[in-house]
Amino acid sequence: MNAWTVILAAGLGSYLFRLSMIVLFGRITMPASLERASQLVAPAAFAAMAAAGLATACMSLGATHAAAPLAAVAAAVIAVLRTGSPQAAILAGLPVFWVTGALLPS
Amino acid sequence: MISLRTDRRDVAAGARAMAPWLAGIVPFGLVIGVSAAQADVPALAGWLTGPLIYAGSAQVATIGMLDAGAAPIAVVAVALVINVRLIFYSATMARYWRGTPWWWRLSAAYLLVDPSVAVGLDGYQRLGRDRAHAHYLGGAVLLWVSWLAAISAGEIAGAGLPTWLHLEFVIPLYLVGQVISRLADPSRRRAIFVAAAVALLALPAPLQLGIALAIAAGIAAGLTARPAGPTQSIRPLQPSTEVPR
Repeated sequence: MNAWTVILAAGLGSYLFRLSMIVLFGRITMPASLERASQLVAPAAFAAMAAAGLATACMSLGATHAAAPLAAVAAAVIAVLRTGSPQAAILAGLPVFWVTGALLPS
Repeated sequence: MISLRTDRRDVAAGARAMAPWLAGIVPFGLVIGVSAAQADVPALAGWLTGPLIYAGSAQVATIGMLDAGAAPIAVVAVALVINVRLIFYSATMARYWRGTPWWWRLSAAYLLVDPSVAVGLDGYQRLGRDRAHAHYLGGAVLLWVSWLAAISAGEIAGAGLPTWLHLEFVIPLYLVGQVISRLADPSRRRAIFVAAAVALLALPAPLQLGIALAIAAGIAAGLTARPAGPTQSIRPLQPSTEVPR
């Protein structure tokens, strides 16, 4: 299974999800617990990917340069908390990443 | 009866209703395009996540996990788990599309995603069913075109930008923004902290299987938290509050 088949399979499955209840309307009822769980999927997935991505970035850069992504994430967290806008994370974090990276010894 | 020729004004009204959503969607599409260009995935395959998966969060997960060398089955599983909410959107729209021709149901279902459900539902609650079909289509098609255009622009720009910009770091920052903005709800907060902790602990797991394990643990932990209020039925997001998922 390569990238193409993965994307095709994820796309086909997503389309079947979209079509599912339109086809099965009135025949099955979704349990309330599944509905509640589905609201937690995106936050859990985003948190898992963010933590793993940050840890991987720090490890690949080494102990000295790990300060750049850590500082960027700190700036992103502060920016989102202050503005309430998720987009502020990129707008604040990326420049901090560049500046911190440039200041660190090579 | 579905007659778009006679419902041009409703098609245009649906497109106008979608316009506020585009302010959040276009930057998100650009970010996905840039990340696809920087990832170790064929450029066309990355772009195809747009028309095939057509849901931002699942596209981010798919591109990110493929880039990290995750097991294919884990990538598909995570993308589908993220998209489970589409089943609820399907259930929401099913009552309005009952008795419509199959071509309509097959094509309208393809366009189902958070913003199109929000705009579509507004039309079905205010207009007659036939006019609301045109309203839904106007909004949903504009969204689809804008989404794919934004991903294309991001992918073209991302491929031409210098490596010292480290644009691969855009996605972790995007995810951080989404996570921090969802901390207010106790269930989500618990899901977020547990998922992040398990993802770090499971980092040595092969083929990025730790991500799937962390998502499952986060959801389980979130379900044990007391909900902030009465159980809310799943509903589309509002354009001014959150980026579409």
